[in-house]
Amino acid sequence: MMNLLFICGLCVFFGATIFQIVLAAKASAMARRFSLWAMLGANLLFLLFSLNIVLRDSTFSVNLYQLTDILHFSFFVDRLAAFFMMIISLVSATACLYSLGYIEHHGSNTDKNFLVAMMSLFIIAMLLLVASDNTFSLLFFWEIMSITSFFMVMFEREKADTRKSALFYFVMTQMSTTFLMFSFIAIYHVTGSFDITAIPVVSPFLKAVIFLSLFIGFGIKAGVMPFHKWLPYAHSAVPSNISALMSGVMIKVAIYGLIRYLVFVLTPDRWWGVMILVFGTFSALLGVIYALKEHDIKKLLAYHSIENIGIILIGIGLYLIFQSYGFTDLALLALIAGLFHSLNHALFKSLLFLTTGSVVNATGTRNIEKMGGLMKVMPYTGFLFLIGSVSIAALPPFNGFVSELMIFQAFLQSFVIGNPFLKILLFFGLSLFALTSALAAACFVKAFGVIFLATPRSEEARKAKEVSPSMIIGPAILAVVCLALGIFSFQIFTSQGFTLPIPNLMFIGVALVVTLGLVWLFMRLVSNRATRKSETWGCGITSQDSQMEYTASGFSEPILTIFRPIYRTRKKVERNFSDNGKSIFKDGIAEIQTFKLFEERIYLPIANFVQRLSNTISNLHDVDLDTYILYSFAAIVILILAAGWFI
Amino acid sequence: MSFIIYALLNTTFVILISPLFVSLIKKVKAYTQGRQGPPLLQTYYSLLKLLKKETVYSDNTSLIIRITPYINIVCVIVASLSVPIVYIPGMVGGFGNIILFLYLLVFAKFFMALAGLDAGSAFGGMGSSREMTVSAVIEPVIIIVFAALGLLLKTTNLYEMFRTSLQSSLFINPSTLLISLSLFIILIVETARIPVDNPETHLELTMIHEAMILEYSGPNLALMEMSHAVKQTILMAVLINILIPWGLTSAPSVLTVSISIITFIAKGAILAIAVGVFESMFAKSRLFRLPNLFMLAFFFSFSTILFELLK
Repeated sequence: MMNLLFICGLCVFFGATIFQIVLAAKASAMARRFSLWAMLGANLLFLLFSLNIVLRDSTFSVNLYQLTDILHFSFFVDRLAAFFMMIISLVSATACLYSLGYIEHHGSNTDKNFLVAMMSLFIIAMLLLVASDNTFSLLFFWEIMSITSFFMVMFEREKADTRKSALFYFVMTQMSTTFLMFSFIAIYHVTGSFDITAIPVVSPFLKAVIFLSLFIGFGIKAGVMPFHKWLPYAHSAVPSNISALMSGVMIKVAIYGLIRYLVFVLTPDRWWGVMILVFGTFSALLGVIYALKEHDIKKLLAYHSIENIGIILIGIGLYLIFQSYGFTDLALLALIAGLFHSLNHALFKSLLFLTTGSVVNATGTRNIEKMGGLMKVMPYTGFLFLIGSVSIAALPPFNGFVSELMIFQAFLQSFVIGNPFLKILLFFGLSLFALTSALAAACFVKAFGVIFLATPRSEEARKAKEVSPSMIIGPAILAVVCLALGIFSFQIFTSQGFTLPIPNLMFIGVALVVTLGLVWLFMRLVSNRATRKSETWGCGITSQDSQMEYTASGFSEPILTIFRPIYRTRKKVERNFSDNGKSIFKDGIAEIQTFKLFEERIYLPIANFVQRLSNTISNLHDVDLDTYILYSFAAIVILILAAGWFI
Repeated sequence: MSFIIYALLNTTFVILISPLFVSLIKKVKAYTQGRQGPPLLQTYYSLLKLLKKETVYSDNTSLIIRITPYINIVCVIVASLSVPIVYIPGMVGGFGNIILFLYLLVFAKFFMALAGLDAGSAFGGMGSSREMTVSAVIEPVIIIVFAALGLLLKTTNLYEMFRTSLQSSLFINPSTLLISLSLFIILIVETARIPVDNPETHLELTMIHEAMILEYSGPNLALMEMSHAVKQTILMAVLINILIPWGLTSAPSVLTVSISIITFIAKGAILAIAVGVFESMFAKSRLFRLPNLFMLAFFFSFSTILFELLK
């Protein structure tokens, strides 16, 4: 039965891919739609498959293809893998549904077909990666995932910006593969097999090296600071349905890898937990702080992905710390918080990216300063975006609140730990986490308020139209799941055998609804129900226009000023005057530049160093024949000496 | 069943008493300025009058400003269930969880800030922006204060906290006094009072909270004023029930409940007078000076944590 579901799902996906690639130049919108429906069906099969395993806590294994004795494509799905497969298939299903309408708006016919083919291959690569039983197959699908996503980032390849982003993304993603391959080979060196199983005791140094290179490898893909820079670039280039997949799902695959290795393969040391916690806290805080200054809505959401990955890492870090002290209950709470936040973030971030896609489509811009007033012309999209914002801002009774609450609870219990320095570090982490959460709320007041409220700030925003039904139903499903996972969180965890110290949000939900009913009834009976329309009060100005509204820059200005040391903004004001007394202003220049800390201090120095090194090496080749013969001679001598040394 | 009785009693009491404290603070401020001030029941009259007026909406507004008053009042009322005033009930389904309590208040604030942007007026946007800034910067302080309380009282549930503080005389504990100072600063910040915000002006330079509710009228304004008053009462109740819990009971009967109601009114009146006097002693401070005040509260509560951890 399970075998059938797995194989059927695979076949449909590969069928859709091949169908789309073969017919790339010819296939019509009809054929494309057919492929997307097929992919939707295959996702539902996988959803059924993974739910079955998650809820029953069973396992599933299959060996698909034996290449050599140690290299084979074999799959093993336990509860953890199935949980992530569930995230992938659920989000992908809604993204496919959304794409039915969305994909018709962009690019040429061939491009669209190719995008669908890549999307199908991308989803299947992620599913099989998570299901992989050995590092060979994991790395194989990791590369397929990276390459297909690179092609999708290149979708609008005629723009110079896109090409630059895609190249940046490609380099980063290959670096991540290099680090992973290094650690997998190191593990192979220890165990002699490519299977993902617990490794025996090794020297602390080797263990640390394996952990660090795994952390960097998965960290680059997950977008952990300071390896995050590709996220905003790639997301601003890629179509929105793919953003939802990349941000909602692909970075979670890296989280899966990290959890798999930390829980099942390695025996973690205490400092690993502290390190992950510190990286997580800084990713979360800096992610949201950078998001606040962003006016490109897709970059803003990308920075929020970094923030949420940070929150997930905080959960994992707390798990390792509590585990190392033997507090298994608290460790379980923190780990479940991390996992549940992975699911929640996948849901609300995809919801936000999909509705953003609709908005960008309708207005033709990604700059939120040119939007405004869309709530009146796109009410459904606006409402769905609002639900996404409320979830990501961690407001009760939505799902984001539950996972953040679990992390708060784990933090608040951290006084049980013996080490006073660690305790103080954890309480400090708690305060930074609270700051992150509050700034996220501020950021989404800005995003929703500036995009959907007040009056339109540009002609395009004024002419925007509501999108087609499939582009509403897809996100709507995610929105319903967001609310349901929040309200029924207590029941879900209890039914799965986890008793966690979280409030029963169903009661809270009932209390909210009953109170609302009573207030409404009271107001209906007592208050005056007459309403009147008038204009906004503007201190006596006769007609108000969108120029007078608060802008996104204005909104975030106070926060930017308070956190100025972090942004390292450089303000430059030059003024010229018409007279010597400097009283009559003629003209002037005012500039505000933000210092790109990570790019200018970390990425560029490394890139420059590599550039210089390769220049030096290429200079060695700019010589005549005699010198080449000398090189060959020297090489042979060194080889002979080396062979004598080793043999 | 018993929880429903508690919910009805507590909510009714909070709603009835809240406008009184608002008026009392105004009265105290008036006295310090050498004025008579409005009668003590003035806030009740104003609310009733607002209910009878018609509602005016701006042409620019959307659904948000229409639902915000309801969301606000509902959120603060449900949050108020976490703060027992009439008596401490048994634990039910996570009411009293401090994170839930705080985030219900954030929920209300989130929609209030959104609605501030809805009408497209520069005032509303300014208010929202400042409100979200202040609330973001105060948030770490609030969490650390409650973490310190949790450390001191060994629980993260407000019901349990009040029960513990009722059983022991905590007010002589230096940690509690430090936390109370921080809680007082939080009360000032969250209820938009001087030196953070000035509740009495409509000047763009000084407004935060008032700027956001500028576009409301009639019954909607009444709901917003009411939810602000309720929020003030429950934050006062947190401070009172932890520092001086005498009179509060966890064994409800007609007698004990009436004692706890009467003592709460007395203690609340004293705190309201303190707030009024405090407010009269200070001037509104610049927005960008506020982080200093918050750092003070942060310092008090973090030093409590250090003290408790290293004791």
